[in-house]
Parts: sequence; structure tokens; C-alpha cells
Amino acid sequence: MARRPFADADRALFWTLAIAAFAAAAVGLAARAVDRAAAHYESERRNYAIVRVIAPEGPDGIVLATAALVHAPHVAAATPMSAQRAAQLLRQWGGNPIEAADMPPLRLIELELEPSPPQTDVTGDITAALARDGVTGEVVRAPETAGAGAMAGRARAAALWGSGAFAIVMALIISLAARGLAQRRRELMHVLADMGATQRQAARRVADEAAVKGFSAGLVGAACAALIALGLIFLLAPNASFASVKQLVEPLDVLPLALTPFAAAVAAAMGARAGAESFYAQAARLA
Amino acid sequence: MARRTKPEYALYESGVLAQLSDVTAGYAGTDVLIGVDFEARAGEVAFVSGPTAAGKTTFVHVLRLALLPKAGQAIILGEDVQKLNGAQRARLKRRIGYIAENPVFVEDWSGFDNIAVALKLAGRKPRTIADDIDELAQFVGLTDEITQPLRSLSNAARRRVAIARALAGKPELILADDPTSGLSPEAGRRVVRLLAEMRRVGAAVIITSQDEGLAEHAPGSRWRMERGRPVRVEEPEEADA
Repeated sequence: MARRPFADADRALFWTLAIAAFAAAAVGLAARAVDRAAAHYESERRNYAIVRVIAPEGPDGIVLATAALVHAPHVAAATPMSAQRAAQLLRQWGGNPIEAADMPPLRLIELELEPSPPQTDVTGDITAALARDGVTGEVVRAPETAGAGAMAGRARAAALWGSGAFAIVMALIISLAARGLAQRRRELMHVLADMGATQRQAARRVADEAAVKGFSAGLVGAACAALIALGLIFLLAPNASFASVKQLVEPLDVLPLALTPFAAAVAAAMGARAGAESFYAQAARLA
Repeated sequence: MARRTKPEYALYESGVLAQLSDVTAGYAGTDVLIGVDFEARAGEVAFVSGPTAAGKTTFVHVLRLALLPKAGQAIILGEDVQKLNGAQRARLKRRIGYIAENPVFVEDWSGFDNIAVALKLAGRKPRTIADDIDELAQFVGLTDEITQPLRSLSNAARRRVAIARALAGKPELILADDPTSGLSPEAGRRVVRLLAEMRRVGAAVIITSQDEGLAEHAPGSRWRMERGRPVRVEEPEEADA
């Protein structure tokens, strides 16, 4: 069967579908990366607290409080804040350069917290544990919703809805491009209508062809997105190895890649079916 | 079965494969056929002649279910076409072989592939399709052209492919709309004789043409389109009688 006159147009269609699928997969991967970074930031922020020791004063108070915190609920680790650490934190958050030697005596203990359910009174439980051992302290945690706390949530929501909206636009492009396939198969629609194929039979023939094209273009698009993502990882982290990347990747990370071929197939089939039905209807009924 | 008890089916059983009664049909606001009464019987050829724009093609469109009557009744192969839905009409079309004045093909497919579509639609097993196509090609006089893309074929060869495709589903009603258009007189006569042969397998054959002279190669009833309706032309012997 010689189908050369269609070859160029079909190739153009394939690459249109593949590029749209690549864009959707790449944005999906980027959104997942943003989601993971925001989730990581949020988890670090939530699991961090500082205890300011009010009484007893002096180094004894810090020792007593540290010992009390080791057994306190929700606490994974407690480390008294050194002058060097405080200076480093102040530099990190944009304060004026401060030398560790210039720091006043600190009565702060950094806490690494275990994950806890949202309604748990972590601050109260730790304060009570300190009080039981004769320490008066103030537990300072990151704010729940204001500033940075809200930003992580907003970033995750923006990544999810943004990538979803982008995927829908790409699906629309794939669907419209596949409608062009039906346009190029209108002779076949006319022939099938004349010979007594039902609208469903005729449209399915073109939709199946479009679905196969969409799936293979989706595979190519997803493969390109995966290769570029790998390239970026190795560019940004030159010490990374395939083994370390494999360990880093979670099943959810590959979801955009896995969904792309199927979504492209469905979008292409829907577009081609709609176009084919319209051409069939034109051919089957003259008035 | 309800279908078997319908009066339309009794008509079909009696050998009337197409019957138009007082049919009016046309496009948008224009009526092309007005009050048409026509009947085609199994094993007979009806030759309908008339000048350009006399309504021959519209007449064929009604018979091939592409155009529904605006008024009157059309019973085709035992079915009242106005009572059928789209899918039922499509299924009924499979029992009709249609050769258009300008047949539509998938131009970059070969004649073989174009005919194969009809055979597949008729439910033929894939392994028998090649043999069926060989047989059809022989019948219509196609040779090596059958493997070439349609766009490269001559008018006469295209017409033969169209006939082979129309006959592929073993239709009971064969409609040929000006099938000799663009052919040499000799090729035209051959095509008409070929189509008329199909009456021998029990099909009703309806041929329309501008060339009244071709009627002598299609033994059967003769009709002439006059003022939007086919009028039976009496044979000289009948007129004498």
C-alpha cells in the first residue's frame, strides 16, 4: 500500500503530538520537582524548633534543659546552639556579618522534632517536660501559615494546578492536531459512509489510528523529557550516579512520564473521532 | 420476528427491491424530484435517461439512502427508509452497490486496497479477501492496474475498480449513476453490459445515463426523467400492442 503523499503530513502530525507530549511531561516533572522541594522545605521547617532557656540561668541551665529534652516527647535531637552556629545562621538569613567571638552568651537549644499529627500540642508537651525537670523554657516554632509557612503550600498548589492546566492545554493541542488526521482521512470516511459503515465504525477506524500515533508520540515525548531531566540532574549534581538517582526517585516522580503516552493517545483519539464523525455525517447525508 | 410481518418486507419478498411512492426530494429549499413513483424488481434492469440536471443523481441519492424523501414513501430492500435511524440506514446500505458518477476512492491506496475495504465491511474473512478480489477483478476486466495507486489509473480503470468495489458485498440493489461518463463509447457499452449482467444473480440494477442509446445494451425497463420524475418509456412492441 503506497501512502507516500500522506507521509509528510503524518510525520508533521507525529512530531506535533510528540512535542506537545514532551512539553506536558517536562512541565509535569518540573512541577513534581517543585512539589518535592516545597514538601522537603515544609517538613524541615515543621520539624525544627528552638528552646530559649529562661531558668536556671547560666551553663547549668543549658545542661539541665538538654538532659530534660532528650526524654521529652516529640524531640528527635536537642543540640545547644554554639556561637559559631548562631553566627552562621545570622549570615545565612541575610543579617550583618557577625563574628562568633562577638556573640553574647546564648541560652538557646536547637530541636529536631519527630513528625506529629497536626492537632498535637508539641510546644506544650515540651514545655511541660522541661518543667518536670525544673527548667523554665520557651519553645519557639516556625509560624503555621504566615510568610514562609504559607509559601511552601502555595508553591505546591501552584505546581499541581499549573501543571494540570498546562497538561489540559497540551491535550487540547494534541486533540486539535489529531482532528487534522481525520481531515486527511476524509476520503476514507466518504468511502466508508457510501459502503454502509456506521458512523461509529468509521470514526473508530480513524480514532484507533490516532490513538496509536498519540501513544507512540507520547512515548517519544516522555522519553525526551526523562532524558533531559536526567541530564539536568547530572549537570546540577556532578557527583550524582545512576544508583543515587535511582534511590532518589520516588514512584510518584515518574507518574507524569507514565501518564503521558496514555493521555496523548486518549486526546488524539478523541480529536480524531470528533473530526471523523463530522466528515462521516457530511458524506452520509446530503440534506 | 416483527420485521418479517411488516408489509414492507412482504413487498421485498415479492421481489420488489425498491419502491418509491409519490416521493418528493431535494436540497434545502429546492425540490428536485416531485411526486416520483418508481419500482425496481429483483433480476431486472431499469435504465433511466435524461439530460444534465434532470434529477438523475438526486434520484440515485434517494435510492442509496443518502437523501431522505421530504414527502412520500421510499421502501428499499423491505425497509421504509424514513423509519430507520442512522445505524440501521448504514447497515441497509451494505446491501446496496453504488457506482457514483465520480467515484470517491482513497486515492493513494491501490485498487486492491479500495476493494478490500468493501469486502472487510461485508464481513469476509481476511484469508479469502485476495481470492475474492481476483475474482472481481477478472469479472470487471482489471489486470495489473489493481495493484497501482488509484490516482495513477485511467478513467476506465477507475470505473472498473468502482464497479468491482460496488459488487464486492454481493449487493441486492445495484445503482450506477452515469457510469459511462468520461469513457469512450466502446468502454461505456462494455460497462453497461457488465452491470446489466448482474441481473442474472438476482440483483435489481438501476443505471442512469445521459446517453439514451446505451439502453439497448441494458435489457429491461426504460425510464426518462421528465419534470423531476422518471417516466416509463414504452418499448416499441408494447406501444404497438
